[in-house]
Amino acid sequence: MFDIDWLSLAVPLVYLGILLGSLATFSSLYRKRKAHKAASLEPWFPAHLQRDIYFSLLHLEPSASSTKEKKAPAIPDSVLKASLLRRASEDIRRIMALRSQKQALAMLLQRGSVGDDLWQRFQRAEKEMEDEVKDVVSEANAYAPGWGQTIFQSANEMMNNDIYRKRMREQQSKVEEERQWWDKKKTSIQESFMKELDDNTSAPTTSAATKSSTKSSEETKASPAPAASVQGSDDDAVLVEADPSANIPASPASPAGGGKKKKGKGKK
Amino acid sequence: MASEIDIFNEYPLHMDPASKAISLIATSAQTPAQKADITAELEELNQLHRSLQTLDPPNIPPPPLPINPKRGAQINKLRDTANAAYRKSNYDEAIRLYTYAIEMGIARPGWEPVTLTREELSALYANRAQAHMAKQAWPEGLVDGKCSVDSKPVANVKAWWRIAKCLAEMARYEESKKFLAKGLEIEGRDSEGGKELIGLLEDVEKALLRGASA
Repeated sequence: MFDIDWLSLAVPLVYLGILLGSLATFSSLYRKRKAHKAASLEPWFPAHLQRDIYFSLLHLEPSASSTKEKKAPAIPDSVLKASLLRRASEDIRRIMALRSQKQALAMLLQRGSVGDDLWQRFQRAEKEMEDEVKDVVSEANAYAPGWGQTIFQSANEMMNNDIYRKRMREQQSKVEEERQWWDKKKTSIQESFMKELDDNTSAPTTSAATKSSTKSSEETKASPAPAASVQGSDDDAVLVEADPSANIPASPASPAGGGKKKKGKGKK
Repeated sequence: MASEIDIFNEYPLHMDPASKAISLIATSAQTPAQKADITAELEELNQLHRSLQTLDPPNIPPPPLPINPKRGAQINKLRDTANAAYRKSNYDEAIRLYTYAIEMGIARPGWEPVTLTREELSALYANRAQAHMAKQAWPEGLVDGKCSVDSKPVANVKAWWRIAKCLAEMARYEESKKFLAKGLEIEGRDSEGGKELIGLLEDVEKALLRGASA
C-alpha cells in the first residue's frame, strides 16, 4: 500500500546523516584537541622531587624483596616518615607560592595582560596541590593516628626554620670579608697617621703603630685643632670620633651586667 | 585524569642496611644536575631521619607547641655562664660560650617553632656582639648585631645601637646613620632605647659634618 519512495526519502536522510556526522566529528576533534592542548601545557611547578623520592621508596620495598628474597631489608617506617615530612614541607612551599601568585595573576588576567593558558596552568596546579595535601594527610594518618593534623604544622615550622637558618649562615659568612676590609682599612689609617706624625714631629711617636684609639686621644688632647684640620680626611675623622667613645664606655663596662638585659656599653 | 596523582618519576634508590641511609644508584638516565639535586635532597632526608630517630616512638615530630624545655634550659645556662664571664671582662671565654650557645640554638630540631629560635638567637647574637665590641672587634660585632636584628627587629634596640656603633667605629658613618634611622623607625623615638639611638645619631652626624667640611 504504502509505496515508499526510497529514493526521495534518501535525500533528506543522507542530508541528516552528513550533518550529524560532521557535527559529531567536529565536536570530537575539537574536544580532543582541547584536551591535548591542556595536557601539553607546561606544569606550573617543576617535578616534585620529594614526592618522587617518597614514592620511589614505597615502591622499592616490594620489588626488592621479591627479587632478592630476604636480602634487601624493607625500608623502615621511620625513613618513610622522614620522607613524608620532606614532602609535606615542599608542599607548603608550593602552596605559599600559589597563594602569593594568585592575586597578581588574577589581576593580570582581568586586564588581559596574560593569556588563558597561564590561568589554566595555574588552576591545574592548584587542583593538584589540593589532591596532594589530601594524600599527604591520609598517608600521615596511616603512619600514626592523628599525625595528619599536625604534619603540616611541623612542616611549616621546618620550612621557616630552614629559611631562617640559611639567612643566619649567609650573614655569618660575611664575617671574614668584613674582617679583611677592616684590617686593610686599619693599616691604612695607621700608615697615614704615622706620616702625619712624621710631618709634625712634636707629637709623641712611641706608641704610634700599636694602638690607634688611645693614641688618637693623646693626639687630640695635645693638639686638637691640627688633628682635625691638617689632613681632614676620612681617616682623621675615625680617630677623632673613636676617642670619646673609647673613653666613655671604659668606665661602665664592667658593671653593665644584668644578663640578657645588658645594655650596650656607654649606656647608663 | 584521576590517576594523575599517582604518577611519579621513579628514582633508583638504595638503602644502606646498617645505617639506613638512602642513596641514589647512579645511572646514565639522569643528568648531572638532576643527580646533584637528588643527592642533596637525600642528604637532607637522611639528616631528618636521624633526628627523627632520637624521638620517642612513634617517631613523629610532636606538634610545635608544647616545647620540650630541655634544650632551652641548657642554652640559658650557657648564656648565664657567658654573661658571668663577660662581667669578669673575660671576653674570649664569653665569646666562646656564646658561640656554643648559638650553635646549640641553631641545632634545635626544625619542627620546633621558629619564633622561639629567633628569640633565643637574637639575644645570644646581641650578647656576642657586645663581647666582640668589648674586644674592639668591630667587624665581628657588626655581623653579630646584624644577625640579631635580622632575627628579631622589634624590641631589640640594643642590637640596633651596637650595629651603628660598630659602623661608626669603622668610620662607615653613612651606613651607621642608615641603621640608626631604621632602628629609630622601629623602636620609636620616645622609648628609653630611642634616646640612646638619637644620642649616637647626633655623634654620627657630627662626624659626617666634620668629614664633609674638611
